[in-house]
Amino acid sequence: MKIENDAHASDFPLDGNVLLGAFASSPTPMALVDARQPDQPIVWVNDAFTQQTGYGRHEVVGRNCRMLQGPDSDRAEVARIRAAIAAGQPCEVELFNYRKDGTRFWNAMTINPVRNAEGVVTHFYSAQADMTEKQRLEQAMRNANDELERLVDLRTADLSAALEQKTALLHEVDHRVKNNLQVISSLILLKARRTPEGEARDALQGIAERVGALSTAHRMLYSAGDATRFNLQDFAADLLSDLNAGLDPERTHLEGAFDPIAVSAAMAAPLALMIHELTTNALRHAFPGDRAGRVTIEARRQAEALHITIGDDGVGLGSAAPNPAGFGRSLVEMVVRQLRGAIAWHENAPGTRVEIRIPLGSED
Amino acid sequence: MGGDRCGKGLRVLVVEDEVLIALELECLLDDLGHTTIGVAASSREAIALGQADPPDVALVDVHLVDGPTGVEVGRTLSADPRTTVVFMTANAKRVPDDYAGAFGIIAKPYTERVVASVLHYLCERRAGRTGDRPGPELSLDGFNLAPRARA
Repeated sequence: MKIENDAHASDFPLDGNVLLGAFASSPTPMALVDARQPDQPIVWVNDAFTQQTGYGRHEVVGRNCRMLQGPDSDRAEVARIRAAIAAGQPCEVELFNYRKDGTRFWNAMTINPVRNAEGVVTHFYSAQADMTEKQRLEQAMRNANDELERLVDLRTADLSAALEQKTALLHEVDHRVKNNLQVISSLILLKARRTPEGEARDALQGIAERVGALSTAHRMLYSAGDATRFNLQDFAADLLSDLNAGLDPERTHLEGAFDPIAVSAAMAAPLALMIHELTTNALRHAFPGDRAGRVTIEARRQAEALHITIGDDGVGLGSAAPNPAGFGRSLVEMVVRQLRGAIAWHENAPGTRVEIRIPLGSED
Repeated sequence: MGGDRCGKGLRVLVVEDEVLIALELECLLDDLGHTTIGVAASSREAIALGQADPPDVALVDVHLVDGPTGVEVGRTLSADPRTTVVFMTANAKRVPDDYAGAFGIIAKPYTERVVASVLHYLCERRAGRTGDRPGPELSLDGFNLAPRARA
């Protein structure tokens, strides 16, 4: 309620008593202060004001409004009121005031200067609202928030503990798996050493190599930060240097070109097994006798699929010695089926080329 | 892999509680031209054997019969300048940051190539045929060189 110079009550066809009556019976506590008397005393209050403060009309008229202040009244807010009044400016403040009985309440006040026809401030008009309930609700809200925060912290601590436990368990299982792979590998190699040279020993050594490929995949899976992804490039680099170390560099050579491809952990073992099988197969069968040659292996990622090509310039499928067991080839075909992929074997003239396409989930 | 033997090879103490792994490792060492001077399954045994007759190299698993005591075995044995300790473990996280005085860690499951390369380097180093700091020949997946052994 702001009264401007050009908006005097006399501009309206109202009897001044009507306005006074309306203010007197308003449920909003109101007070009028005389700006020109020393210490600016209260000159008028309505019934709502006396109800709010507990003071009788005669107990407040003639006194300064600071009579409502007490120990918990915010000094900064009081200073704001004083400054606004000195400058003849309106202001809004919220602070603790005290009733006659000494109890305090949150008082939200709007204070406005009232000017006469000459523009001189003659009075200050104040309308008030008891904000105690609102403040209480806000405090209750803050308490509720604090409680929620505490519960969230508690729950987070529980989850962290559970995660820690899960991580510890994962490490324990990982450690056991690695150890068991080592035992399996040692077991097979020990048996191979005690088996006379020939088909049985070759078979055992072949199995040991396959276990080795799976072991490498497993070792890489858990040594990197993310145990859910498998880096095909790293695996291929390791496999190739392992296989190259066993080759006569004058005669056979193995080359790889792998895109940096990370696949889901579930694909690690089958892919490792498949790549190992195809590569060793090519090395074993493509170059009979003293035939020299080269095996190349490539992995590219194209349109949500992994493309693997293994080629050699050896004798080719048709000329290779018939291999009735053909375990390597059927192992590869089984793994490709497991990965829902497709495989094609081509005569490369010279040599053989195997093309494999494995779909990668969209998350890969 | 046993092709390029390094003189008379190394005298190796195997500290491993899995009999099968220990036995196969012995065979591998033999293939590579090294000599296994003993196999220990517990920390007490390992320290007793290693101190009675200090080996050139001790291959030490972290988990032994008496618990994760391999780290202490490594620390004790590497105190003797005649012995180089290499951990062989599936649980490299158990090895402290200073590698307890060891030269490096071979991760299990290991490949024969890694075992062969590490021992070959150590053998050449003993014979004075290589520098004190290993080069790219020991940048192998499955082998971690101790920080103080790095170039």
